[in-house]
Parts: sequence; structure tokens; C-alpha cells
Amino acid sequence: MQEAGERARHEFRRSHRASFVTWGVLLLLGYGSTWLLVRGQHPFHGINPGAFAAVTLLAAGSALANVAQARSESGVGGLSALRQRIRWLSLIAGLAGMFALEGALAHAGASRTVLGVFEAATPILVAGLFYLTSSALWVDWPVSGLGLWLIAVAAGGAYAGPVGIWAVGALAGGLAFLVMAGVEPWLRRA
Amino acid sequence: MNDTELDPVIHAPARLRIVVTLATLREGDNLSFTRLQELIGLTPGNLITHLRKLEDAGYITTHKNGRGVTARTSVELTHSGRAALENYTTVLRQLLDSAQSPS
Repeated sequence: MQEAGERARHEFRRSHRASFVTWGVLLLLGYGSTWLLVRGQHPFHGINPGAFAAVTLLAAGSALANVAQARSESGVGGLSALRQRIRWLSLIAGLAGMFALEGALAHAGASRTVLGVFEAATPILVAGLFYLTSSALWVDWPVSGLGLWLIAVAAGGAYAGPVGIWAVGALAGGLAFLVMAGVEPWLRRA
Repeated sequence: MNDTELDPVIHAPARLRIVVTLATLREGDNLSFTRLQELIGLTPGNLITHLRKLEDAGYITTHKNGRGVTARTSVELTHSGRAALENYTTVLRQLLDSAQSPS
């Protein structure tokens, strides 16, 4: 009886570890390399292709991590499956809103500096809101803390300007994910 | 059956494994027949037989979605199934305690 329960719990265990590692590495490499590309710009003249690549990498990382997680939950339907779809919707809506908003800012005549800050800060903000949504759906306090931290990194990092924010995102965002991946098993046991 | 007897519906090892497995899911969740079969390790025929007994007792509900090759059967533990498992565990614990305690 105990063995059956433990086996089932192991099979259905919800772990964000793969997702944390993927996001962490992508932020460190994506944001870090973009920072290396733009740090010499005086005045700042934009990093459109780099920003686009960073966002695409982040989205791809999220998708990969979610697919890995969905695999561990295959066969489970009902309320959990519905929550999973809401989670996905929050990420897709956030990224779509981000691109639409950037278009509106450019259309309204925002400078390259403003757009540069926006391009770097909003993916982290969307990721933060995504994890905050996840934590609300599963009542997961560590994930809630991560979501709040990412929102703070996005908002605070924006003050570092269109160049500095890439370094802030890589270090404060990427390392936070990797730390969470490291402590998650311990937090689950506690 | 009274509250001091082990529930014969759950007591069968295969059915006990089924109920325990379903009880690890959150309330409102269900499990596909194929995944349950994979976890329990029974043949489809055997699993259907045990599920039918549990369904007759009101411990689980089964739902079939879709048609033909895309059809998916899902199994969910009912409130009374969850309560029956809790009662079974309590009775088993009491029996073990009384067997271990010196007379």
C-alpha cells in the first residue's frame, strides 16, 4: 500500500527544476551575450535582432521546460489539466501583449533608449507574472517568491538603462533561477 | 460491514493499489486508463474487472471522451472512495496496534 502510494506520488510529482535550469541558463547566456554586444554603444542605438533572439530563446526555453513537465503529468486530466492550460495562456498572452505594446511604443515615437529598456525588462516581467500565476494555481510559496523577485529585477533593472539591464537580467534573473533549481528539492522536503 | 472491519472491496491487493494511486491525485483530477494500467501493471482485462467492482461500490467514476481511436477513458476517485480508503487505513492501523500491544 505504501509502495503504491510512494510510486504514484513520485510519478505525479510536480518539479520545476528542469524549467528553472532552462530559464536560468537562457537568461545568463541570452542576456549576458546581449550585454556584451551592446555595452560599447555610445549613444545607444538599439539591439533589435539581439532582443528578438533573447525573447525567442526565453519562450523556447519555457516551452521545452513545460513539455518536460507535461510529460511527467501525462494521463492526468481534470482540474490540474485545466490549471496547466491557464498557466500556458498567461505566458502566451503576456508575450503577445509585450510585442503589441512594443509596437505601440514605437508607433507613438518612443526613442531607441526607451524601447531598449522595454525589450530587456518585459520578458523578465512576463516570466515573473507567469511564475506568480503558477504559484497561485498550485499554492506554491517558493515559486511565488521567485515570481516576485523577477518582477523586482525587471522593474529595478530598468533603472540601469538600456545597456545595464541586460547585465542585471543575466545575473539577478539567471542566477535566481539556478539558485531555485538548486534549493527546490530541499524546499519540497522542508 | 461496520467500521471495525476491513472493507472487502478495497482489501484486494490490486484494488487497493488502484485506490491508493488515485488518492495521490488532487481532488477534481482524473487519470487515464492507460496511465493507470502502466502504474498498476495489470492487463487491460484485469484492470477493467477491478475498476468495475470499485465503480459498483461507488468508489470511482469512469468517463469516456471522444470516439474510435481517439477515445480516452479516465478514472476518478469519488469522495466516498477517498473516505473508504481513509477508513480502511484507520481500521488496518487499529488491527496492527491491537496485535502488537501486550494483552
